[in-house]
Amino acid sequence: MSGPSRGGGPRSMGASLLDDVLAETLDPAYAQAAAARAAVPAGAPVRPRWRGRTLVALIMAIAGLLVAITYDQAAAGAKGAEKVRAALIDDIDRESGVSDDLELQLRDLNRKVTRTRDQTLAATAVGQRALDELTRAERGAAAQQVTGPGLLVTLANAAPTADEDPVGGSTSQDPREKVQDGDLQLVVNALWAAGAEAISINGQRLGPTTAIRFAGEAVLVDFRPVTSPYEVSAIGDLHSLRDKFVLDPRVQSLASLSLALHLRFDLASRDTMTLPAASTPDLRSAVFDGPDPAAAGSGATPSDATPPATTPDPTPGG
Amino acid sequence: MIPILGLAAGVLLGLFLDPTVPLALQPYLPIAVVAALDAVFGGFRARLDGIFDAKVFVISFVSNVVVAALIVFLGDQLGVGAQLSTAVVVVLGIRIFGNAAAIRRHVFRA
Repeated sequence: MSGPSRGGGPRSMGASLLDDVLAETLDPAYAQAAAARAAVPAGAPVRPRWRGRTLVALIMAIAGLLVAITYDQAAAGAKGAEKVRAALIDDIDRESGVSDDLELQLRDLNRKVTRTRDQTLAATAVGQRALDELTRAERGAAAQQVTGPGLLVTLANAAPTADEDPVGGSTSQDPREKVQDGDLQLVVNALWAAGAEAISINGQRLGPTTAIRFAGEAVLVDFRPVTSPYEVSAIGDLHSLRDKFVLDPRVQSLASLSLALHLRFDLASRDTMTLPAASTPDLRSAVFDGPDPAAAGSGATPSDATPPATTPDPTPGG
Repeated sequence: MIPILGLAAGVLLGLFLDPTVPLALQPYLPIAVVAALDAVFGGFRARLDGIFDAKVFVISFVSNVVVAALIVFLGDQLGVGAQLSTAVVVVLGIRIFGNAAAIRRHVFRA
């Protein structure tokens, strides 16, 4: 520490260190060398000048080389990150395609199973009754494709600002300017409350057990990612659906919120739209509650007479 | 003039030959560049001050680069590599700034 206070009091070591750094920007060795040169008598032998010059040029070349290499490396790093990102996006697209194919195949097979089951059940009176019950349950479980008039609610993130970099890892966009899972849940719940009979988000039909939630940056509907813009389609009586939905206080607050945060929040009526069937939950447990296996077992296997809350076609391996 | 030519030759050489740096040395390159810049600016200012000395320049350049890399290496071993890198960049950055200001005063007389 410094001694007695001078002026404004004792100066801390940190301040004097900073002073040194700020004041002494030139290496003192230059001044010493200059002084040493001045002290040498005029007649003394001097070092050859060309050697110094070559050395300086060489060092400058090394400095340039360093700068160029570092620049190259930084550029290559950025390019590499971009390449990895593109490869990952390709991977995701490809696997999503595979998953879509499999789902199509599954739907096809399910349809075949359903047709065979319906034929078998329709053959007997007991089976016919079970089939009716099953059809009703399936309609409730969103296991069937539906067509009808409805409402199309579109929610979308605010448009990104111009200075945003979509490639860099830092997503500086205000999270409030993005549609959250809660917003979608609010809209869907309001639609249900307004009397919607079937709802889908971006083509993902909502069943009784479908979840809408966040995973990182993506909104998952039924564990499949959906992206902005989110199109929520709801089938129901057009007029009452629309009126009740618009008058819902939560929807009104969401609308004013989206206006303030530049979210897109549109409402449109459609005379006819078709919603796909939701993926039915896997059959996990089946309890036989018929009168007697022997009596019910006329042509149908016992599992066909299970309560219709679950579809009676256990997926293979599921 | 010759030093400027040397610098240009080095840059061109680096850009066109595209030499590969061993992976272990790559984290020290940016710090080495900042240290080299400090030495180069110091040399340029000394030249304008009329006290340039080839020997001092060469030694200050080499020692600057090596010491900066060593400090960061040591920091990496101790687990404070990022902080020490920041410290080196701050100190060298201040010096570069000071030297650049001195050069500006020489060149523009302001």
